[in-house]
Amino acid sequence: MTLKECYEKMEANYDEVIGRLRSERLVQKFALKFLDDPSYQLLITSMEEKNYEEAFRAAHTIKGVCQNLGFTCLGDSSSALTESLRSGWTPEADRLLEQTKADYQNTVTPLQSLKDSQQ
Amino acid sequence: MKKASSPTRFLTLSLIVVAVLCILVFGFLALYMDSHNKDTINEVGAIYMTGMSERITMHFDTTIDYNLSQLQGVADAFPPDSRLSAEELREQLIYDARARGFTYLAFYSQDGEIEPLFGPSLQLSDPEPFLESLNQNRDRIAVATTPGGSRMMVLGVPASYDMDGGKTCTALLGALPMEYIQKILSLDTMENESSLVYCHVIRRDGSFVIRSGDAFRDSYFERVRALFEGLNEAEAEQHVANLQKAMSAGEPYSNILNVKGARRHLYCTSLPYSNWYLVTVMPFGRLDLIVNQLSSQWIGMVLGSCAIILCALLLVFAKYFSITHQQITALADAKAQAEQASKAKSEFLSNMSHDIRTPMNAIVGMTAIATANLKNPQQVQNCLRKIALSSKHLLGLINDVLDMSKIESGKLTLSMDLLSLREVMDSIVNIVQPQVRAKNQHFDVSVHSILAENVLCDGVRLNQVLINLLSNAVKFTPDGGSIHIALYQEPSPKGDAYIRSHILVQDNGIGMAPEFQEKIFDSFVREDRTRVQKTEGTGLGMAITKYIIDMMEGSIELKSTVGEGTEFHVTLDLEKADTPELEMILPNWRMLVVDDDEVLCQSTADSLKEIGIDADWTLDGESAIRMVERQHQLRDNYHIILLDWKLPGMDGIQTARELRRRCGSDVPILLISAYDWGEIEAQARDAGISGFISKPLFKSTLFYGLRQFASGGKEGAPSPEAVPSQERVDLTGRHVLLAEDNDLNWEIAAELLAELGLVLDRAENGQICVDMFLHSNVGYYDAVLMDVRMPVMTGIQATEAIRAMGRSDAKEIPIIAMTADAFAEDVQRCLDCGMNAHVAKPIDVDTVARLLEKHIRMRKG
Repeated sequence: MTLKECYEKMEANYDEVIGRLRSERLVQKFALKFLDDPSYQLLITSMEEKNYEEAFRAAHTIKGVCQNLGFTCLGDSSSALTESLRSGWTPEADRLLEQTKADYQNTVTPLQSLKDSQQ
Repeated sequence: MKKASSPTRFLTLSLIVVAVLCILVFGFLALYMDSHNKDTINEVGAIYMTGMSERITMHFDTTIDYNLSQLQGVADAFPPDSRLSAEELREQLIYDARARGFTYLAFYSQDGEIEPLFGPSLQLSDPEPFLESLNQNRDRIAVATTPGGSRMMVLGVPASYDMDGGKTCTALLGALPMEYIQKILSLDTMENESSLVYCHVIRRDGSFVIRSGDAFRDSYFERVRALFEGLNEAEAEQHVANLQKAMSAGEPYSNILNVKGARRHLYCTSLPYSNWYLVTVMPFGRLDLIVNQLSSQWIGMVLGSCAIILCALLLVFAKYFSITHQQITALADAKAQAEQASKAKSEFLSNMSHDIRTPMNAIVGMTAIATANLKNPQQVQNCLRKIALSSKHLLGLINDVLDMSKIESGKLTLSMDLLSLREVMDSIVNIVQPQVRAKNQHFDVSVHSILAENVLCDGVRLNQVLINLLSNAVKFTPDGGSIHIALYQEPSPKGDAYIRSHILVQDNGIGMAPEFQEKIFDSFVREDRTRVQKTEGTGLGMAITKYIIDMMEGSIELKSTVGEGTEFHVTLDLEKADTPELEMILPNWRMLVVDDDEVLCQSTADSLKEIGIDADWTLDGESAIRMVERQHQLRDNYHIILLDWKLPGMDGIQTARELRRRCGSDVPILLISAYDWGEIEAQARDAGISGFISKPLFKSTLFYGLRQFASGGKEGAPSPEAVPSQERVDLTGRHVLLAEDNDLNWEIAAELLAELGLVLDRAENGQICVDMFLHSNVGYYDAVLMDVRMPVMTGIQATEAIRAMGRSDAKEIPIIAMTADAFAEDVQRCLDCGMNAHVAKPIDVDTVARLLEKHIRMRKG
């Protein structure tokens, strides 16, 4: 699996990220590192513990990382989640969290297979 | 309506009740006082009468006493046993009696015979009791009548003088005229107007001894009966009976008689030396008059104060009523307004749901068609194109609604930034061009009198305003119509730091009715006319436009006539940007500008002069050709010719072709137009046109458009590139502190920024960032890149902490926010806390580099 195919599977914007980071090597390096990023775990834990302030920050970080990596799909859902948590918990937060979870899986799975195919 | 009238009814009712109450209370007061007046007068009358009677009785007593003692004096001076002869004694008695004022003197025998000494002969009116008293040796008085009919008061004192005929008298009688007594006693008060009372003296049987006033009967009882004759005879009898009863009991009698409406007070008491009674009468007439006057004054006062209170009450109620009425009206107005607003909103909602459904239907329908035709790429492509169009339209609607809700909740803020009006105009011309082309409309842009190209303004919102005005112009102008946008400036009344910029958007479209012009800037309004029905839109565009212009403290005016067109005139006082403008100098060329707009020609020539170029201008192709030929003959060719595409008569392309034919190909001919160069390029190149400058023609547009022809360099023109080069800042080796909590983001940033040659230090959160800066040498770091959302301490707090440090570089080190928050409010918060700039993620190396360059340069400079 190539990086481009992986981006397509993730519903992410390959052209944009290449245009910005300028090298496929760099993009791939960073994209794979996303698998080790602790923000998602922090988001899930915080939401379970109802620590919405921390959850907001975690969602915000995921949004920033996704924007940097051009992960459009996950970026959008985490952005929506961020807004729903900006001033504490709101009713739509739970739904948006589910969306974010789904999109995260949708993002991580192709990345994992890309990683596996590299080894 | 029932509700509205109930306060009125309540007010009227309470007013009436209070008024009636007021009248009742005052009426009662008046009546009560009046009745008490009568009682008081009666009481006062009784007291007065008693006193009066006592005084008169006393007076009577004294008078009688005095006269009896005088008579006794006569008798004592010359007693019967004196040595005088009978003749002498009589003479002496007469003399003495005359001296003491008596008009009559007589001896009175035991059997009632009278021997007069002097005076008229008298007939005693009631001799028996008189004689009886005198025989019992008591003083006594009586009344007698002269033969002439006048009445005398006869006084008797016991004395034993010898009478003629050998008898001895039992008493000496003296008489005084009755008038004297009356005068002394002031009984007849008719002569004395000031006195209120008059008196009678009567005997027990009612016959008058002394009568006064208008009494004309012989008996007082008869008189009373006569007074009551035909009125109330029983009362008269009652009165007489009571009086007689009191007389026989020897008690004073007091009563009030009411004769023919006139009240009289009557008081009866017995007199001494007689069985006479004094009857004192006081008619109330005068007293009543006075008291009635007082009473009527009192009633008048009462009624007057009642009227005053009623008036005041009425006034207060009227005022209160009018206030209530006003409030009710205001309430009704507010209600009507609210209803109007609510109606507009529901209309808007129904319009919106229709407007949203239309593109939505297209999207759904086209998606279905595309799915059914997956094998046919052309069909799919067609569908996708339509879906894209509808989506774009839908997005526009939603954006409008979002903007409006932001405006309504007061959350819309402006982010002021450096802005080039040239770029703004260029970009909106580019945006509008396709729409104009699609409707085959004439489009022209003109700028003139530009004093400051770079200003501080919210570019996004300004664009929104201009695009809204222009797309409305395009929308409401039929195919083949014309649209014109103009920009010009003048000094601002707000001061030297500002520049007043006028933007005019004109069209010759369908125009607007005056009624609609009034409410065009209201929310949720769209003109309800059949020819507008098919035009889509939220109707929010103008409200948003107006709101943005208001926020920018500008104004927007509208002139429109149905069927003739519309003109919007936006006036903004924009702050001039203090960025030094690049020195723009081109070789001292000679140029010709050809355009049919005289103002544009003049303005362009002025701009060119500032760049160092001498320019001629003309308004049409034919004269342009003549001017070029003349210069050609003078061997002083124009260096460059600017030619408008649309010209009256011969158009730009034809003119260019003609010029090429006559003057050869070495002079650059540039086309100036508001239209897209792409659509006419082939045709233009073919006609020998060397290049294109897009309208509007700012000074910088001209400079950058013409600069390329200077590199071919004639007469040692200065290279324009040489001027700004010193502004460049080399970032290699600069120390930058980067606060970023996320490892991945840090790595990406580090990787990208390392390309610029920066030396990066990482701070994992705001607190670490503050500590690292605190422990660094002064001036070590050239800039800080700051994430905003970090654990422990946010970027905002960290910036505030750094700015609050006492170090010399704490205030001036550039701090640039780097965050995923990109709303204007977030940017504003970053700038408010002391940051210099804000870049949104994803990190764009060029943007970051440009900002670092700018702020490091500003710090140095």
